[in-house]
Amino acid sequence: MLSLLGSTGMVVALVGAGLLVARGVGTARSGRATNLAGAARLLVSGAVAAMAALVVALLTDDFSLVYTANHHSSLTPFPFDVATAWAALEGSIVLWGLVLAGYTWFVFRRYRRSPDSLGAAALAVMGGVALFFFGLMVTVANPFEVCVEAMEAGCAASSPWPFATVDTPGNGPGPNPLLQNHFMMAIHPPVLYLGYVGMTVPFAYAIGALALGVPGPEWLRRSHRSTLVAWSFLTAGILLGGWWAYEVLSWGGYWAWDPVENASLMPWLVATAFLHSGIVQQRRGMLQAWNFILVISTFSLTILGTFLTRSGTINSVHSFTQSAIGPALLGFLMLTLVGSFVLFSTRADLVASSPRMGSFVSREGTFLINNLLLSVYAFIVLIGTTYPLVLEAFTGTQVGVGEPFFNRLAVPLSFMLLLVMGFGPVTPWGTTGPELVWRRVRNPAVVGLAAGVLVALAVSRNGWVVLSITLGVFVLATLAGLLVEQVGRRTAKTGETVVDATRQVVTGDGAFWGGQLSHAGVVLIAIGIAFAANLGTHAQVEMRPGESTTFEGYTLTYESPFQQTPPGKTVVGARLTVTRGDRTVGIVEPSWNFFGAQSGVGTPDVLHRPGGDLYFTLDDLPEDAGDPVSISLDTSPMIWVLWLGGLVTVLGGFLAMRARRTERRVAEERPTVDV
Amino acid sequence: MSERLRNILTVALLLVLATVLIALVATNPTAADRVESIGERIKCPVCQGESIANSPSQMARDMMALVEERVDDGAGDDEIIDELLFSYSGAVLLDPPARGPTLVLWIAPVAALVLGAGVIFWWRGHPGGGPGTDDVPVRSRARRLAPLLVLGGAFAVIVVVAGFFLQEREGPASGVANLAGQDLTEVSNETMEAVIAANVDHPQVDGMRLALAERYYETGDFRSAFPHYLAVAESPNAADPEAVTALIRLGWMAWEGNGEAGTALDLLDEALAIDSGSDTARYLKAQVLWCGAGDAAGAAELLQAVLGDPELADDSRELIQSDLDAIRSGDSCR
Repeated sequence: MLSLLGSTGMVVALVGAGLLVARGVGTARSGRATNLAGAARLLVSGAVAAMAALVVALLTDDFSLVYTANHHSSLTPFPFDVATAWAALEGSIVLWGLVLAGYTWFVFRRYRRSPDSLGAAALAVMGGVALFFFGLMVTVANPFEVCVEAMEAGCAASSPWPFATVDTPGNGPGPNPLLQNHFMMAIHPPVLYLGYVGMTVPFAYAIGALALGVPGPEWLRRSHRSTLVAWSFLTAGILLGGWWAYEVLSWGGYWAWDPVENASLMPWLVATAFLHSGIVQQRRGMLQAWNFILVISTFSLTILGTFLTRSGTINSVHSFTQSAIGPALLGFLMLTLVGSFVLFSTRADLVASSPRMGSFVSREGTFLINNLLLSVYAFIVLIGTTYPLVLEAFTGTQVGVGEPFFNRLAVPLSFMLLLVMGFGPVTPWGTTGPELVWRRVRNPAVVGLAAGVLVALAVSRNGWVVLSITLGVFVLATLAGLLVEQVGRRTAKTGETVVDATRQVVTGDGAFWGGQLSHAGVVLIAIGIAFAANLGTHAQVEMRPGESTTFEGYTLTYESPFQQTPPGKTVVGARLTVTRGDRTVGIVEPSWNFFGAQSGVGTPDVLHRPGGDLYFTLDDLPEDAGDPVSISLDTSPMIWVLWLGGLVTVLGGFLAMRARRTERRVAEERPTVDV
Repeated sequence: MSERLRNILTVALLLVLATVLIALVATNPTAADRVESIGERIKCPVCQGESIANSPSQMARDMMALVEERVDDGAGDDEIIDELLFSYSGAVLLDPPARGPTLVLWIAPVAALVLGAGVIFWWRGHPGGGPGTDDVPVRSRARRLAPLLVLGGAFAVIVVVAGFFLQEREGPASGVANLAGQDLTEVSNETMEAVIAANVDHPQVDGMRLALAERYYETGDFRSAFPHYLAVAESPNAADPEAVTALIRLGWMAWEGNGEAGTALDLLDEALAIDSGSDTARYLKAQVLWCGAGDAAGAAELLQAVLGDPELADDSRELIQSDLDAIRSGDSCR
């Protein structure tokens, strides 16, 4: 029944996608507005039905579906049963399809308001991408196959035909233990997908604009909001992934330059560059060609990332068993790259025309430097991630490219970006002398250096820590200075109170100040990383029950081992009391979690403290209650600043997006005057 | 305050602050933890992309312990890393060296940065387009793209040149088989250590261990020799003569190095249990009995028995005879 519903859903969505391509292309060619509603509705309702069928199957323990039988267990508690819908390959494609259908709907709504060729062409491209993903679902990654030969827990043979004679297993093995260890798993993938898939929208508009030969800023204007939404979600998704790694993965880290993490960072870097260069084209008409390159790269990198993580090329918690999905994704990536750049080169004459920049001392100048740094950054991550794979594939030589490589190159680049971030916002558009910029940065520079000296004297003389504080405070001070300058000008002019004037200034240019909030968030992230990475300490202790040890001013007493059996798992761990002076600051329980017959997952416990986290990992399980346990202890100083920074960055993105919407509404109410 | 004065003061203040800051950071007393920094450069063989410094796995901890030990020994970073990579299959350097197949990884980002900056300068300096560019004849458009092509070509050349270094492959010989045909005297101690560590369960490894241990022993490096002799003595695969040699050396080191007469006698007896006719074992046991256990009579008896071996070399015979004479005349041991 559910198989039938789901199968019907994906076929309906596939048909909708096909119709969208056909009718979208027709509309874009003829220039006559046609009704694309039918196609869009088919796509969306089919995608929703497919996801609904999958979720209901998981909630009702319907093991007649192969997907449920192989990735779910009746013991899996909420919300992990729902999250299982995207915890394995086929389900993750369903989620991709659903998110893509959602974004397509937003593009369609805009088209319905003001139908034109560009909108129709963009919808056709969205339909084409949807065609690929629903095609994957119907062929190599069908989540609605039914089980025709049951095993004790799982399914041995399947049929894609919903009416086949079903042999329902009694239960399944449950999802990957790592993925059911933390509620984050229910949130991180959808958030990341909202980011990844959202990059389809600017790509669709860009390809549409290229195909129609209208490289002007219109496609940027239309897609800017979607880009901001996608960028904000991608930022949030990456940070949630880091947080998940920190809370669940037992090694005290949040970022390891793991290929899977890199796969999400690459599109983020390029999308960040695109957000900035898109503004340059909208304001100054420059960088037309560059924006096309960036947006095509961003989209291609999301597909590359999916290929890397999903195809089993890289062994990780994200990769699933070998399947035909790898070659399919690789083929789609090639098609995207070749198709896009061929189209791009045929339109090169249109695209190449744009005014040149007057001086590097200008907003566009700083954006250009920012774009160069971000692109090189993305290139470093790309080459570091893919080169070992390519080299091994062609020569069989194994090389490792890991943290030391990335850190050595990315850390200096990150600090250069911070420096540019201090100059960019205070530098006006167009040609100016350096005097104005100097006036705006001289005090912040003093403040930043003074903060650096203060930290070096009071906290740490570690170079990276001091540099992060110096540059970070410099950036924050330039922003504060700019705000003070604008508010001061406004109060002098209008006589408003400072509070009112501040509100007016910020809401008056919400897109700009939203962006500056994101900048402040990035500063916090940089400071958090510098502190946690350089000032953390590590120790490994062995204790018997009742014994105590001291670590970083805390006294840790190993009370006893413990064992619990919440629904669906068995938790075996060690209970420790943490005291500081005479005061008990917490009880921690680092443990190992066992899910059914699967191997255990080490689960750290973190004591969150204002100065930094205390991180406990149980290295070995004690065999007898009296045996000593080995526990790894780590500190992560100021790591909360990193998470706070992430939150602020994402907030800034959404604020900028809201401001854009308000601006647009205002603009649409008035007859538009092109600036 | 005039604007000019203010600027001068600000610059002066910035210079002072920057100098103080650089001085503070440069004199940062905490040196980097070498063990940690070496550990971070090596991938843990049983993990997914984690370094041995970060992984809680048993193997990673063992490897870190080894790093710590070698750092204490005074070994250099590269030396330690080579040993680890050699010893543990699956351990890879996470920090690709700027040579061989990974040189391109270091060149390409720098090349990209230079290239990008070049493109920006070229783009900026180039006579501007503006809205009318649609009418620009094709030929001039091609000419405008020429510098881009040149730069792209330069980039390709850099990559190709880097690719030449791909030819320089390094394949560490990490199996006993790789050394089987070689004269062991030409192999360095480090290489032998590494090969042994990588093949601890290999049946032929005991011979190599013994050879290496003998080398250490001859240079008086008992500390390095000891674990190898011990491993051979305890190995089920070791041939009898190998085990006897190891036990004799262990016994002698226990006495000579640590003055533990009891342990030494136990070990030498173990050797004699395997080969009761070993002259070396009997001679050394006699020495320990005489000097360590005060059992001159027992020592004399053993030495007498050794002299009964017709194959004993003449110089050895002389030495033993002189010892025997000394014991009989009641001298204390030498």
